[in-house]
Amino acid sequence: MSPTLSALLILLVMVAAYIAAQLFKLSTELSIFVAAVAGALAGGHWLPIRHLAEGAITYLDICLIFLTATLFMNLVREAGGVAFAVRSILRRFHHQKVVLFLLLVILLLIPGALTGAGSVTVLVTGSLVAIVLKYMGLPETKVAAIIFLIAGLSAAAPPVSLWAMMTAAGINMPYVGFFLPLLIPCLLGAVAVIFILGWKARPVDLQKALEEIPEPPEKMNWWRISLPFLVFLLLVIAGRIFPFSFPVLGLPLIFALTALTAYLASPVKLNIWKISLETTKQLLPLIGTLTCVGILVQIMTLTGVRGLIAVSVVTLPIAVVIASLFITLPVSEAVLMWGAAPVLGVPLVLLFNTRGLNPVIALAGMSIIWPLGDALPPTAIIGRLTVDVVGVKEPYSKFLKQCLIPGLIIIALGTLMVIFSKKLGFLAVF
Amino acid sequence: MNSTVKQRKWLFGLIFLVVFILAGISFYRSRHLPEPVVLGEGVTEVKRLSNYFSGIKGSINDARIYVLGQETDGGSVLILGGSHPEEPAGRLAAWIIIENTRMKAGRIFVIPTANPSASTSTRPGGAYPPDYSIKTSWGEQKFRQGDRWSNPLDQWPDPEVYIHYPSRQQLAYMDIRNQNRTWPGRPDGLMTEKTCYAMTQLIRQERIDLVIDLHEAELQYPVISTIVVHPKGQDLAALASMTISAEEGFDIGVEYSPEALRGLSHREIGDWTEAIPLLMETPEPFLDATRGKTDRNLLLTGQDEFVMKAGKHGLLFEKLDERGWPIDVRVGRHLSSIAVILKTWSELRPDRLIEAEEIPRYSEIVEKTIGFYLKNPAETPANRLFYE
Amino acid sequence: MATLITILYYFMVTFFSICFIYNFIKSKKWAEELLYLIVLLPFLLRLFRLK
Repeated sequence: MSPTLSALLILLVMVAAYIAAQLFKLSTELSIFVAAVAGALAGGHWLPIRHLAEGAITYLDICLIFLTATLFMNLVREAGGVAFAVRSILRRFHHQKVVLFLLLVILLLIPGALTGAGSVTVLVTGSLVAIVLKYMGLPETKVAAIIFLIAGLSAAAPPVSLWAMMTAAGINMPYVGFFLPLLIPCLLGAVAVIFILGWKARPVDLQKALEEIPEPPEKMNWWRISLPFLVFLLLVIAGRIFPFSFPVLGLPLIFALTALTAYLASPVKLNIWKISLETTKQLLPLIGTLTCVGILVQIMTLTGVRGLIAVSVVTLPIAVVIASLFITLPVSEAVLMWGAAPVLGVPLVLLFNTRGLNPVIALAGMSIIWPLGDALPPTAIIGRLTVDVVGVKEPYSKFLKQCLIPGLIIIALGTLMVIFSKKLGFLAVF
Repeated sequence: MNSTVKQRKWLFGLIFLVVFILAGISFYRSRHLPEPVVLGEGVTEVKRLSNYFSGIKGSINDARIYVLGQETDGGSVLILGGSHPEEPAGRLAAWIIIENTRMKAGRIFVIPTANPSASTSTRPGGAYPPDYSIKTSWGEQKFRQGDRWSNPLDQWPDPEVYIHYPSRQQLAYMDIRNQNRTWPGRPDGLMTEKTCYAMTQLIRQERIDLVIDLHEAELQYPVISTIVVHPKGQDLAALASMTISAEEGFDIGVEYSPEALRGLSHREIGDWTEAIPLLMETPEPFLDATRGKTDRNLLLTGQDEFVMKAGKHGLLFEKLDERGWPIDVRVGRHLSSIAVILKTWSELRPDRLIEAEEIPRYSEIVEKTIGFYLKNPAETPANRLFYE
Repeated sequence: MATLITILYYFMVTFFSICFIYNFIKSKKWAEELLYLIVLLPFLLRLFRLK
């Protein structure tokens, strides 16, 4: 049997196993796991325990970031910090929509830009912004769409864009020159998203809103809320300004220290063990997906399925490749998450480079499209997280519908950057 | 909790334990797989990196340095294999030099595993085999597969972004564990940076003239089948490239180290020491993102239908046909290139002669295979046998 | 300092591993139990310095 036919058959077995698992009402995470195991069996590897375990550990550090960041946010919430902040923001800016929107965009962009993870934006500032937007009369699906889309852009925004970094690392290209090509579309996109989806927002009925938001503890104040965020910023900035004298802490420890600060600054006594158990329970689908996706990528690579997908994509005519980015990038993200960068990003950028396009601008353009896939099944990881955080009660498809138009604008922006990458080369300065 | 639920938990727990133990044993074994090195006649001394920088002592990356020749007033070359252990041709070429080469003039310092930590791990998501074997007349010799980055068990965590010392260039966070992104290193940095610092000290203290860093590249990577050289070594590399193409039976190009790429051996060693760094790349289809089934066969034969398909669409920077890129061909190219570079250097700098005998050439390796040049550890006295 | 930070990471891994095990014991849904164990695997491999 030829390698192509063999890989194709294994791919079909994996897809069939995934569909079967879904029909048996298994969760997405377990369906991915079943597909991976089926792929290994179809490839004649029986149960390759080493590979299953190795795949499972792929995203360990990212799981730790999610755990510590969410623990931090949950501590702030339990301490009454979120309620206090929402009440204060509403009191101050409830009648100034434009200023309020711009402030919210900045609030949403910062965590993801610094960490490279859209989920951190959703968890750290997303829930807070969601409450404000809901009191501006926006339906929950719209609020979730705003937070999801801007969280995606925040993840792609500089300085840390994991898709660009992982792809650049995969082709030994320095992660340099990406700042402006990533910042400009992310800012433009985020502002467009909030004004398009929030167009019908009305001034907040302050009295009604304040009545519905729980009263924070008496001793809660801006200092107590700001302190952990300040610690976070200080630790990140210190690492940037003094990289050779400040110890390498890593994001999980930075978030853990931030969480510790939130715990110490709380005006009420918090049960850290109970909140930690809740956090791990809350994040099980997210880190379960990350772990199972790692296993899936490993098995796809082992069996040649990854190669089949990659070579099929890159050998299409370049016009077709660019024209199909709107589907290939989000879908690859939906299946592989960040794994899409090494699997698909690397061959695509190499293809663009050999065809004379500017690899930095093209990769930046691709990087703003990729996060849209985080709302799509099978993983839909950030999408589901956002819907949970916002507390959307309507079907998931309604949230997706709200994402459609601004999502298409972001796709158009990214695709244009790829097409005109050579002309936009001047942006790749630092 | 009813008894069914309890029983189920016990069953799940048991299955988990079996998986955990089996996976753990597999990882432990490949991390601790001993690789024998038989000292050839030419080896006069075996040192460690901590001889040059005590800050690396006790770390897994206190790599062994095999010294060939005694003449301290002649020229000297440092050969690095395994800066990226997942590129096996570099390590194997270094092994063959240690086990076979003798010096007529000058000295060769060989570090076959320049990043020992990276040799103990395989890449999550990469589906690498844990090891591979080379056939010899006395049996098979097994080598660890290794990864591109240092093992997180030896260096953890990564920063949120890696800022290279001293240029302050921002690089991907995991590249703080990439030995070819941490040159020239720093004494108070993380382990991989310290390893490079120790090697920089070696280069300075031993007055090394040339550093040859052996690598392999995916065929979709433009820097392939080439010698990347610091501008101060351009005459040497150009002459060597011409000689190789004319006499050795294969072509190799020359590229100059770009100033914007920081942390790489071919840039930083040239900038921070007196030595001329040269980095050599052979083709390794096993590394290509479009590769098919990932196994030992692909690693050693370099035959892959999917990468070939990419080639037919003009996406490769090196040719690939049904013959693939066998490991003998890749190792042979490295060895011939080293031999010619040393010869050219000695012609250019007769005051710093480096003359070596018994560096097998490309044609010899292709004809006799690598295994012919690997010595039997079972027949070697203990004082001439080391383990990487 | 780097060693101390690494030790703190092992503490973090231990802490979250205990949380997963506790939740696994308390859980009543088989699919959730299975997922807790899948997620636990990489944490324990790191904790025991195997991967």
